[in-house]
Amino acid sequence: MIRIVTLAPYDEGDIAFLSRTLFQAFGLGTEHVGTRGLPKAAEGKDGRHDAQKLLDEVTPVRAFADDKVLYLTSAELSLPEGPLGEPPAWGFALQDGDRAVVSTSFFAPRGVTEASIEIFRRRLARESIHFVGHLWGLHHCYDARCAMHPSWSPTLPADPEFDLDAFCREKSERRIRMAKT
Amino acid sequence: MVTVGPVRAPSKRDREPKKDEDPAHEGNILSAAELKPGDRVVYPNQGVCEIVGLEQKDIAGQRLEFVRMTREEDGATVLVPIPKVASIGLRRVASSSQMEGVFHYLGASYDDPELDWKVRHRDNVERLIAGGVLGVAEVVKGLHSLARMRPLPAKERELYDSSRHLLVSEVSVSLGVPASIAEDYVDYALMPPAGVKLALRPPPRPVELKGPPWKRKKPVAAEEDDLGLAELGLDLAEIEGAAAGVGGSAEGEGEDGEKAEGTEKVVDAAPAPVAAGGSRKAAAPPARAAKPPASAKGAKAGRAPAASPAKPEPLPAAAARLARGGVKGARKPAAARAARAAPKKAARPARAEKKPVKKAPRAGPTKAARPAKKAGGGKKK
Repeated sequence: MIRIVTLAPYDEGDIAFLSRTLFQAFGLGTEHVGTRGLPKAAEGKDGRHDAQKLLDEVTPVRAFADDKVLYLTSAELSLPEGPLGEPPAWGFALQDGDRAVVSTSFFAPRGVTEASIEIFRRRLARESIHFVGHLWGLHHCYDARCAMHPSWSPTLPADPEFDLDAFCREKSERRIRMAKT
Repeated sequence: MVTVGPVRAPSKRDREPKKDEDPAHEGNILSAAELKPGDRVVYPNQGVCEIVGLEQKDIAGQRLEFVRMTREEDGATVLVPIPKVASIGLRRVASSSQMEGVFHYLGASYDDPELDWKVRHRDNVERLIAGGVLGVAEVVKGLHSLARMRPLPAKERELYDSSRHLLVSEVSVSLGVPASIAEDYVDYALMPPAGVKLALRPPPRPVELKGPPWKRKKPVAAEEDDLGLAELGLDLAEIEGAAAGVGGSAEGEGEDGEKAEGTEKVVDAAPAPVAAGGSRKAAAPPARAAKPPASAKGAKAGRAPAASPAKPEPLPAAAARLARGGVKGARKPAAARAARAAPKKAARPARAEKKPVKKAPRAGPTKAARPAKKAGGGKKK
């Protein structure tokens, strides 16, 4: 089961679209649990939220074994700096774990037109599939048409596909089949 | 900021690696005495493991001592016999300086992926086993750059995923960050976002693979001398001897005979050691410089009439025909030649009869070559 928790107000239609897409991508039931507040302890001096701390400090949600919890936030996230700099934080997931967070701060504004809303929803779905994929042990994929392709990649189109490629889909299905529950 | 040029593909197998200089061998564990419980090591192709301790087990009536370790990823137990510790490529988790080199390697441009899948696969497997963390990074980068040209085949896609998994888990342990952040670091180096220019230093020297001996290059001089006759089952001295015989018999028999005559003059001294039962190879070197073109001409002269146009006869048959009597013999049909060659050998006729006629020429020429030489020598005398 995938449980969606919003850390900011989101349109119900967007959440419904996301639930449908996650169900199609992983074959798992998806539900919106509710809205929680952003943990203040995770906020850094620059106003961004430390992604790791956010997942540690956020109010827990009741979940069972193999349930995955996906948090949605509009706040900007930060990651620790690596050897070549800090990668853009579109989200963060505990690899093979149970919690992930997706930030919509990098998305194009939702707007009010049908087209812009559609683009926003598709991007939200793609990033959610990406980080839930990490929760199922998937790694990044070199194929720009796959949802597991890095979100900041220069080869990623402006309106990317929100589906897994054959290899990643097969791997996620295998992992889900082998899950304890 | 230093500008870094493209990184060449690292698989040059004919170079001899110097073990102490090779970054791939940094941190290798050479004896079980170096291991303590709680140490974190990397088992090639398995990932990061934690040493639990030494353990004795009775296996097939023998008491063996093992190093017991648990794989961090899933807690699986790994037992390594103590004498095998040095040979399996067990190594310590990469240090921060090693890891920095890995990222600079990943960030450098790479425009020369290996296109031969056999070579690529063998190199990649070898790098994963013996290349250290840099070897794993090379596999990831090599396959990644190949994937930008064309989709990877299923097997290499698996290899790409598993090598990426090994690299990410080692980066994660080495830098003390969660695996997904480690993966972000790796991909940030591999495909930086648009507008970001990485401050790269020259990457470390690529892992050098020893490779199998047949891949090593021969010295140039040896290559020039080698005409590939050994692969055809030919002895150069034997052909030379045969050609010498031809020269004697074909003297004054037209154009081909003239060519053979020219040959005879050069080889004049060669038949003597052969007839004396000495080593033919010892006699070969002086004749070598002049012989090959002569024997090749002889072969060309003999080949055209006897062999069918679709299937040219091999060189030994031509040489044997020359030994028997040059061009005249060569013009006769193959079956007739076989029949003619057979009676010359006293012990062989029965065997020759048993064989089908078509196969006779193949066996015939090599067998016939020896008596022919004697005959040629006889004529000479």
